[in-house]
Amino acid sequence: MHANSSPHASTKPPLPEQGGQIGYENTPITKVPGWHGIIAWDALLNGMATGLFLAAAVSELAAPGVFMRVAKVAYPVALVLLLVDLGLLVLDLGDPLRFHHMLRVFKPSSPMSLGTWCLTIFSLPLTAAAGLSLLAELGWDFEWARLLAVVVGLLPGFGSAAYKGVLLSTNAQPGWKDARWLGGYLTNSALLMGCAELLVLSALMGQSQASAILRTAFIVLLVLNVIPLGLLFANLRPIHAQLYTREQQWRVGALIVAGALIPLGLMLLNGGLLFISVAVIFLLAESWVVRFVYVKIPHTSPLEVRSGE
Amino acid sequence: MASREQELSILPQTGDPPRGRLSVLLGRLIHPYLNGEPHGPLSELLGRLIYPFLRGEAPKPQQATGFYTDTTVCIGCKACEVACKQWNQLPSDGFNWSGNSYDNTNELSATTWRHVKFIEQFSHESSSPLPSLDTVSDESPLNRWLMMSDHCKHCLAAPCHQACPTGAIIQNEFENIYIQADICNGCSCCIAACPFGVITRSEMGGHSHKCTLCYDRQRDGLEPACAKACPTQSIHFGPVDELREQARKRVEQLHERGVPQAYLYGDVPSETYSEMHSFYLLVDRPSVYGLPDAPFNPWLHMMGDYVRSVAGGLAAIAVLLVVVFLLKP
Repeated sequence: MHANSSPHASTKPPLPEQGGQIGYENTPITKVPGWHGIIAWDALLNGMATGLFLAAAVSELAAPGVFMRVAKVAYPVALVLLLVDLGLLVLDLGDPLRFHHMLRVFKPSSPMSLGTWCLTIFSLPLTAAAGLSLLAELGWDFEWARLLAVVVGLLPGFGSAAYKGVLLSTNAQPGWKDARWLGGYLTNSALLMGCAELLVLSALMGQSQASAILRTAFIVLLVLNVIPLGLLFANLRPIHAQLYTREQQWRVGALIVAGALIPLGLMLLNGGLLFISVAVIFLLAESWVVRFVYVKIPHTSPLEVRSGE
Repeated sequence: MASREQELSILPQTGDPPRGRLSVLLGRLIHPYLNGEPHGPLSELLGRLIYPFLRGEAPKPQQATGFYTDTTVCIGCKACEVACKQWNQLPSDGFNWSGNSYDNTNELSATTWRHVKFIEQFSHESSSPLPSLDTVSDESPLNRWLMMSDHCKHCLAAPCHQACPTGAIIQNEFENIYIQADICNGCSCCIAACPFGVITRSEMGGHSHKCTLCYDRQRDGLEPACAKACPTQSIHFGPVDELREQARKRVEQLHERGVPQAYLYGDVPSETYSEMHSFYLLVDRPSVYGLPDAPFNPWLHMMGDYVRSVAGGLAAIAVLLVVVFLLKP
């Protein structure tokens, strides 16, 4: 019996004959939000910005002697990435001039509201940490203030990384609504990308000690990231089977596996700058493909409903 | 109809709510912007920045109202669609033939808040695309037209309401889900969240729109335009409790008259979805009418998703910390 039927309705409705007119039975019900490729880029940049900050902050606080120099470069880079990401978020709105309307309420029930507040709060200590890091390079060293900004930024930074997956899985869209591990994957991936970016920066700066530690961390995180990625694709298997042919699924799967295996192989082979750079490029490309494939699910025919957008 | 409107007019009239102290102060600051008086670019900027933060006092809660749509008496005249467009001043969507049905409206949209659906159920033996009069009068359930006037379900725990990050979507004093068009910024979270595909973002302003359950008319003690226009009383409007009672009696009546398939959709909560303040009397599976068989509120997964999200991040931080502590000099 239907979940919403009242107790008065105890009779099962008749089933139409095979091949008969079945009304709206095969018509998609939900409407697709106008979230396209820009959201894939947003999810990538969000992870890159928050992940870089978190990786730099955690490393610096755990071993300041090794990571302080590279962290001071990482914070401004994270700020630039975050600003680009925020720009994309604003542009994606139906009415970008009303972006600040997001700040008129705080609604924990809305992942978008929680995320907006996390990003807004996070941008303040990140800006402070980035600014004070640059000032330190110019000779004005406010070390205690910089460290305070880094510590204050940890929680909202983590929140900014964690909300994105929940936003894209807590909805009624086909496929997305089943992606229970999207949040787990995206947050884990943010840290992985952050570690990779920090590794590139330390290699570029000739920080051999930091590079050696981050290279090991990167290898372990690459392996760890396979777990939530595998769980996510297990969640998405039914919808992928519905949307794509087996060959198409294999092709995308091979691309993603290559994106994980190639960086791993390169890192195990050599810790030089070239190898690190190529490995990180492969990782970022793989991360973008995963996000793009995910964002496209409700837009993929035959699920898309003409929604006037 | 007149008596129903008389009943409704007994409801207390609600005027514009007074503003709070802080809002009064802020309101003074952007007085020219608020009153549409001529103002410079600075006033415009200030007005745009401050306006969404102005607060009014919430109106006193009223008896919950809603719709009960009896699809068995709908004749597909589309008077409700027309009345809705006329009252709400919604533009035409053009004249597009769907090519396979009398349903040329196709779907609910930012400019179509009522959609009369046509389900043509005829057996294969009937070779003619249009049924003969004999076929129409056939009592077989597969030789019939089903019609249903679809609209926002005004769910009690509405996913769109939960998703809205700006507070543009509210549950008003009549417990109806209402989008404040001057607050919505077109983020589309509500569109993603709605399991019924009701809300749409307008191409013109970039904001989301849907049925308001004629909030303006209700505040003036009038029934919604669609219910007023419905010539067969397929669309019933009134206090939700009374509507439920009325609908249950109708189901019993239909069962007695040999329509055992009749049942109510959305009148009571299920394990996965709240009750709806707009519910339907149907005689076939919900999916036949383009409704989800078992609607699911996505928010039931939210806490679990957050836990997995945080766990994924914490695991990575733990790995990073362990490696740093093990390898640092």
